[in-house]
Amino acid sequence: MEVRMRSLLTFQTSMAARALAKGLCGLRPSRAVSVGYTCAGHQYTTAASIKPPQPQAEDVTEQLVNQSLEKPDFFRVSELISLKELFDARVHLGHKKGCRHRLMEPYLYGSRLDQDIIDLDQTVQHLQQALNFTAHVAYRGGIILFVSRRRQFGHLIENTARDCGEYAHTRYWQGGLLTNANVQYGVGVRLPDLIIFLSTLNNVFQQHVGIRDAAKMNIPTVGLVDSNCNPSLLTYPVPGNDDTPASMELYCRLFKMTINRAKDKRRQMELLQGLSPPSTPSL
Amino acid sequence: MAGSRLERFGTVFTRVRDLLRSGVMKPSEKPVWFDVYKAFPPKREPLYVKPVQKPWAKKHETVPEIFYKEDVIRAKFYEQYLPGRPYDLSKSSFVSTCQRFVDKYSELQSRGELEDSALFEETAKALLADGVMLRRRGDPPVAAEPRNLNLSEMLAEQQKALDSEETSQLNSHPNTH
Repeated sequence: MEVRMRSLLTFQTSMAARALAKGLCGLRPSRAVSVGYTCAGHQYTTAASIKPPQPQAEDVTEQLVNQSLEKPDFFRVSELISLKELFDARVHLGHKKGCRHRLMEPYLYGSRLDQDIIDLDQTVQHLQQALNFTAHVAYRGGIILFVSRRRQFGHLIENTARDCGEYAHTRYWQGGLLTNANVQYGVGVRLPDLIIFLSTLNNVFQQHVGIRDAAKMNIPTVGLVDSNCNPSLLTYPVPGNDDTPASMELYCRLFKMTINRAKDKRRQMELLQGLSPPSTPSL
Repeated sequence: MAGSRLERFGTVFTRVRDLLRSGVMKPSEKPVWFDVYKAFPPKREPLYVKPVQKPWAKKHETVPEIFYKEDVIRAKFYEQYLPGRPYDLSKSSFVSTCQRFVDKYSELQSRGELEDSALFEETAKALLADGVMLRRRGDPPVAAEPRNLNLSEMLAEQQKALDSEETSQLNSHPNTH
């Protein structure tokens, strides 16, 4: 896909550039050298790389991409969410009072006979923000990874990921998956640009290691937090029920629709701007 | 590629922004999500919150309990009666026996003539008039009809029924042998 080719390009150029710099100075790139190098950097990178197809394409893509940030709801994700739908899918039902995490207290509406009820007004706002962010990342060709350790919904999540052309990891999370990716998967691995946690807990009710690892690798996260989860490290937490099949199906459907919408919009804008369609015939 | 693995200091955004500002991360290496985050920041900055070490520090209730005025009526209903039909929560328009009682009670109350105990009796009467089954708590369960388990009698009955069927068939089809 042309998106992947473009990303590999930038990585290869930076790799090549760094190799050149090392060769030139023979030292580890120090702060002074890198500053001096950046001035001539742009010329260097284009010289070292394969020639881009159209030099103006870069500017047009820049423009395309910056245009999407002007409107507050460019992808109209707020149309996809409605409070009634969330209520019917039982998103407002939390766990019992004893399981409550103290950091979830601001997101709770109250407790009815000891069962925590999540405030759906806040959920709608948080969900709108999260879907908007996901859409923009998908629009820019970012890699999205769906993570969940709930065996009940593993198949559903994998299907969702396949249907929107993104990735899912619903199995055992190996320790160095993100932090040791270069060793485990080879040099030059592209890490995900967004990780969506459809359940932030693992099978022993502790916080999923992926949340901390994503924060370490500077990857933003969108996560569904139930009343027993810790929302502090997630970039865009969405308070809601993660235990009922109805609510999980709703979320999967919402994420799938936003990502597909964003990708379709991207293809549409590219065609409008007259950029060349992707070279590979597969769609 | 340059990075900063300190998840407990600052947010993902502040770390990447500072790396870019200092020149450690090149502008060509700027992550895909950076501009999006700048344009649409979250409601709360995703800072790491240290787990509180003193559980005895504060324990005041910040999450209110949810109670309604109708809960009083519901409690009184359940003191006297047993739940009727099983609740079918898959339908959002489902009205249980208790809910009907509560609706009728509040309707009668809004008319404002009677007070509590009389009101209770009135609602019960109104519901029974409507045809709703109300089972009192403490009543013996509705006894099933004592079944006739005498097998020979049952066999004799069955035989009689079969014979009567045969004779009726013979009568209706005169051309059968």
